[in-house]
Amino acid sequence: MAEVDVRKPLPAITTEAKPFWDGAAQNKLVMQLCKDCGAWVWTPRPLCNECGSERIEWTPMSGKGEIYSFTVIRQVVGRAASQAFQPDIPYVIAWVDLDEGPRMITNIVNCPVENVRLGMKVFVVFDQASKDVWLPKFKPV
Amino acid sequence: MSIRNKAAIVGIGETPTDRLGSKPGEPRKSSAEYISWAMRLALEDAGLSLKDFQGQGLGVTIPTAYPQPFWPEEVAEILGITPGFLLGGATGGAGAVSLLGGMAAAITSGLIDIALVCGSAAPFSEHWGGGIQPGDMRDWEIPYGTMGPNSKIAMVMRRYMHEYGATLDHFGKIAVAGRYHASLNPLAYLRKPITVQDYKESRLVADPVRLLDCVMPANGGRAYILASPERAKTLRKKPIYLKGFGERSNPSYGPRAGSDALVMGVKDAGKVAMEMADVKHGDINFLQLYDDYIIVVYLQIEDLGFCAKGDVSFYERTDFTFKGHLPIQTGGGMINVGQPSTAGGTLHIIEAVRQLRGEGGERQVPNAKTGLVSGLGVLPYGKNLGCCAVAVLGSEA
Repeated sequence: MAEVDVRKPLPAITTEAKPFWDGAAQNKLVMQLCKDCGAWVWTPRPLCNECGSERIEWTPMSGKGEIYSFTVIRQVVGRAASQAFQPDIPYVIAWVDLDEGPRMITNIVNCPVENVRLGMKVFVVFDQASKDVWLPKFKPV
Repeated sequence: MSIRNKAAIVGIGETPTDRLGSKPGEPRKSSAEYISWAMRLALEDAGLSLKDFQGQGLGVTIPTAYPQPFWPEEVAEILGITPGFLLGGATGGAGAVSLLGGMAAAITSGLIDIALVCGSAAPFSEHWGGGIQPGDMRDWEIPYGTMGPNSKIAMVMRRYMHEYGATLDHFGKIAVAGRYHASLNPLAYLRKPITVQDYKESRLVADPVRLLDCVMPANGGRAYILASPERAKTLRKKPIYLKGFGERSNPSYGPRAGSDALVMGVKDAGKVAMEMADVKHGDINFLQLYDDYIIVVYLQIEDLGFCAKGDVSFYERTDFTFKGHLPIQTGGGMINVGQPSTAGGTLHIIEAVRQLRGEGGERQVPNAKTGLVSGLGVLPYGKNLGCCAVAVLGSEA
């Protein structure tokens, strides 16, 4: 048997996304805002994907949002699945719509799985995953 | 210039599906074997030989997780042909339908006269390293413990149920109709009829997605042959014309950073295809809809305009069987026949051709003259499916 890698997969900190992770490490949620058309750009990109402008600036977010939808992970499955998530089961994967508009894939934490609801108001918390990576997750307000 | 009626499907090939390699000691066939097999069946169906494809079109769907990017060229080598126009189907599960458009355009332009489109995969017998590629999934999904497409489609399904009040009975009806058709299809893998109760009691995979919501991965190969109308008329089988085609990749309904995840790109791809074909909803005799999940079949029916968005009563009053008002998935769909990776979507074209030729056997839709086929691929970050292709096929030019 091959060794099972029990470390959770981490994002690559690309130059494009570094300001996001730098912000998260200081417990600040930041996203790119287009200075020309006013659109939020998410996930991090080199250009505004609404108007093509390069004038996109990292901007603080309120950290407030609501659950657009969610699922409960009850088993580790699939080609890319990491066994490292086994101890967390059951846990919630959610789409959270931030008050400013962008939708994030995230986890809902500090809440029993059976209490999670669509439309629930949530607020960002930061969960340290490595020396450099703090993952933004959300807890009920 | 339009590609309407400028190309016709003249041959189809579908191998049986299997799951060989899932148990130790079972024989292991390769992707190459399945693709050759499907190709031979299509050639036999059309009355053509491989030499007819020298300098002509070859289209190959590119499977997910295949480790090398030159697979279409390798398929040409496996088949022993030297194409004059080689296209990779790179729109995921939409690949086979996308290639209908691409190859028809090449035929219409005079670049080629005939094209072989094929695909295969052997996920149970060929095991590739599952490295995660750069992109949104690696950086923004996997670190949270998402478990593949099930996690994402589950969120679409839950939101839809919340907004429009659809229930498991509505989804179950679609699952039951598909399985009923599979029971009449000798090439289907899952053939035992099910009830709505069976659907509702099937195992939860990613709440609210259940086992009977999901497509079944399988080993297999599928192929079709497209030719100019002039060439088509000289061949063995009745030509089935490509009457309309539309594609929308990376659709967004609302801001790209937070779009409406309940609307699918078939809304626009279907409109384009139906306008090109000059058909109305009432002219369409059946739908073969890409079916990685039951909710995806459900959403396409409304986004294609067969009912208003959120009109759950339409699903209650409509008979979706081959005998009904709006037949769907008349061979059982991929959910019951099996999904050999991105070659899976070819199934819907093949079944449409059978129906339009009158080769539907026990599941033949009466007087089928026009049918609609869709292909879908990719579940991008925070959205509904990312590649959407629609074709309208017909038995009359």
